[in-house]
Amino acid sequence: MIKNRCATPPANVEIYKDLWIWLEQNDGELSRISLEMAGIGRKLADKYNEKLVGILLADENGERMAQEAIEYGVDRVIFVKNQVYRHYRTRPYADAIASLIVEKKPNYFVIGATHNGRDLASRIAVRVNTGITADCTEIDIDPSKKLLEARRPAFGGAILANILCSRHRPQMASARPGIFKPVDRVVGRKGEIERVENSIKEEDVVTKLLQIVTREEVDITTADVVVCGGMGLGKKEGFKILEDLANELGGIVAASRPTVDAGWITRDRQVGQTGKTVHPKLYIAVGVSGAIQHIAGMKSSEYIISINKDAAAPIVKYSDVALIGDAYEIVPRFIESIRKGKQALREGRASSAKK
Amino acid sequence: MLKIAVMIKQVPDSQDISIDPVTKTLNRSMARNVVNPPDVNATEAAVQLKDRYGGEITVITMGPPMADSALLQLMGMGADNGVLVTDRVFAGADTWPTAFTLASVADYLGGFDVILCGEETTDSSTGHVGPGIAEFMGYEQATYVHKVEYENGFFVVVRDIEGAEETIKIGKPAVITITLNANDPRNPTLKRKIAAYKKGVKLVTNKELQLDPACIGLKGSPTIVKDMKTVPDPVKNPSKPGIEELDKIVSVLIERGIVK
Ligand SMILES: Cc1cc2nc3c(=O)[nH]c(=O)nc-3n(C[C@H](O)[C@H](O)[C@H](O)COP(=O)(O)OP(=O)(O)OC[C@H]3O[C@@H](n4cnc5c(N)ncnc54)[C@H](O)[C@@H]3O)c2cc1C
Ligand SMILES: Nc1ncnc2c1ncn2[C@@H]1O[C@H](COP(=O)(O)O)[C@@H](O)[C@H]1O
Repeated sequence: MIKNRCATPPANVEIYKDLWIWLEQNDGELSRISLEMAGIGRKLADKYNEKLVGILLADENGERMAQEAIEYGVDRVIFVKNQVYRHYRTRPYADAIASLIVEKKPNYFVIGATHNGRDLASRIAVRVNTGITADCTEIDIDPSKKLLEARRPAFGGAILANILCSRHRPQMASARPGIFKPVDRVVGRKGEIERVENSIKEEDVVTKLLQIVTREEVDITTADVVVCGGMGLGKKEGFKILEDLANELGGIVAASRPTVDAGWITRDRQVGQTGKTVHPKLYIAVGVSGAIQHIAGMKSSEYIISINKDAAAPIVKYSDVALIGDAYEIVPRFIESIRKGKQALREGRASSAKK
Repeated sequence: MLKIAVMIKQVPDSQDISIDPVTKTLNRSMARNVVNPPDVNATEAAVQLKDRYGGEITVITMGPPMADSALLQLMGMGADNGVLVTDRVFAGADTWPTAFTLASVADYLGGFDVILCGEETTDSSTGHVGPGIAEFMGYEQATYVHKVEYENGFFVVVRDIEGAEETIKIGKPAVITITLNANDPRNPTLKRKIAAYKKGVKLVTNKELQLDPACIGLKGSPTIVKDMKTVPDPVKNPSKPGIEELDKIVSVLIERGIVK
C-alpha cells in the first residue's frame, strides 16, 4: 500500500560508511561521466579519508571496465555481472543497486546526472527512502558531521542552494555532467574488485531494447571559441555561415535548444540548462534571445559577442559587444574583417621578421 | 481504452524572473504563471494517445488553489478531467514527498494505464518526480521520451540519452516523461475551454488521501536547504558598434589572442 510509506530516517546513521559512485557504462564502455564521478569522488575521498567505491553493472566486459575505473581513482569496484546489464534499463538496475545499498550501507552515493543517471537515481532514492540533491555543480563534505553538502543552481543559476540530507542515508546527489574533472589515469593502479552474484534472467525483465541509434559526439565544452546559433537564423542552412565563422576562428559551432529540437543540428551541440555548460575565451551568440535556460550554460564565457536584430533581447545585457542587426548581413562582413585582421597579422609578422 | 494521467505543474514564467538589484533576492512577484513547458508537451502526447487508441485523460497538479487555471487551460486542449491537489500539509515538499503525494492521488483515483510527466520543471529542474511516482506505484518507466506508441499492451517509446537515441518497449502501467518540444501542442479551443469552466476541477485534500502529516510536505522531506545564495547576474554594459566598426572588434580579438 502506498499510503503507509514514509521516509523514516534510520536510527543509527553512524554505521553507514564509504563514498559510492555509479559507474555508468554503455555497451561495454565506461561513460565519460563515470570518469568525472571518479574524479570528484577521488578528491573527496582523499580530503576526508573515505573509501571510494564504484558500482558497476555490466556483462563480461565489466572486468576490463572495473580495472579502468580503478586506474581513474576508484579504490574498490563492486561488479555485478549479468548479460541483462549490457544496456541500461531502469528496473533491473534499480533493483540490484537498491539491494546493494540495503546490504552494504554506504554513507554517500553520487550519480552523474545524465539522462540514465537521473532516471536511476530518483528511482533508487525513493526505494531506499532517502533524499537526493539533483544536478549539483559543487559537492563537498562537512567533516565534523560527515554531511554531504551539495550545491545546485536553480532558476537557471540565479540562485545556488546548499542542500543537506542530514538524517537519511545514503546521502545522495546527482552531479551535472561536464563540471567535475577526471583525475589522470594511472595505468596499473591497484584496487579491489568485489564480484557479486546476481541470477536475474532476461525473461524477468519487461523492458526490451528494440533499437539504439548512436550519434558521433562532438565536444563543445573544450573549445576556445564557440559560435552558437539560435532560432533567429530562421533555417537549418543558417548554420552554414556559422560554420564558416567558426572555422575562421578555429572554433566550434553550438546551438540553442529549439534549433536542436527542430532538427537543424545535433543535440551534442546544445548549450544550456538541459545541454552543455561552456566557458570559452570567446562566445558568439547569433540569433539567440538569451533565455534564462540558455544563459545558464554560457554565462561564464570570458568574452561574449551577440548578433541580434533586437536591441532589447536579453542576450544583449550579457554581452561585451552587441551587434544589432541581421545575422545574414553581419556574419559575412565579420568573416571578412577577421580575414583582413589575420592577413595584417601575417604581414606584420613577416615585416618584423625581415627587420 | 487507455486511462491516462498527466502530472503538470504551474511555474513562474522563467523569462520574468530576475534578481532584485537592491535586496539581492529572487524577484518572482512580477512573474506570470504558466504551465511548465514540457508538461504542455506531455498533455499533447496524451491527447494524441487518446486520439489514436481511445481513452480518458486526467490532468493532475499539486499546488496552490490558483493552479486550477493551469488545469482548465489543458482541459481546453483536450484533457477530460482536472484534479487539483491542494492542502497546507503538502506544502514545502522536496521530490520524495511530492512523488509520494502524487502517487497517492493516482492511487486514490484508481491507478492509470499510463502517467505522463514533463522531463523536468523550470523552477526545480530535477526530473526526479516522474521516476519517483513510478517507484511508488510500482510502474514501469521511460524518461526523456519524444515519441510514444501503444502496441498490444506495451508502450514503444523513443528516448534520448547522451550520444544515442533508443527505442524501448515497456510494460503497462507505466510512467513516461516527455521532452520539451517533443511535439507541437495544439491550442485550447474556445468550445473546450467553456466546457472545462462548466465542468470545473476536482479538489483533493489530505482529508481524502489520509496521509500521515509527518510523511508529506516540508516535514516529510529528507533534504533540507542549508543556505541559499543568489548569484549576481553577470550583466554587462555592452558596446554596440555598427557594422562599419567590425575591424575594431577584430583588433580586440587579436589583442586577446583569439584571432591569430
Ligand atoms: C525545461 C526547459 C529547458 C530548457 N533548456 C534549454 C537549454 O538547455 N538551452 C537553450 O538554449 N534553451 C533551453 N530552453 C529553451 C529556452 O527557454 C528558450 O526557449 C530558447 O533558449 C530560445 O532559443 P533561441 O534564442 O534560439 O530562440 P528565440 O527565443 O526564438 O530567439 C531568437 C532570437 O533571434 C533574433 N533574430 C531573429 N531574426 C534574426 C536575424 N535575422 N538576425 C539576427 N537575429 C535575429 C530575435 O530577435 C531573437 O532574439 C529550455 C526550456 C525549458 C522549458
Ligand atoms: N507539484 C506537481 N504537481 C504535478 N506534477 C508535478 C509537480 N511537480 C513535478 N511534477 C511533474 O514532474 C515533472 C518533473 O518535475 P521535477 O522533478 O520537479 O523537475 C514535471 O514536469 C511534472 O510533470
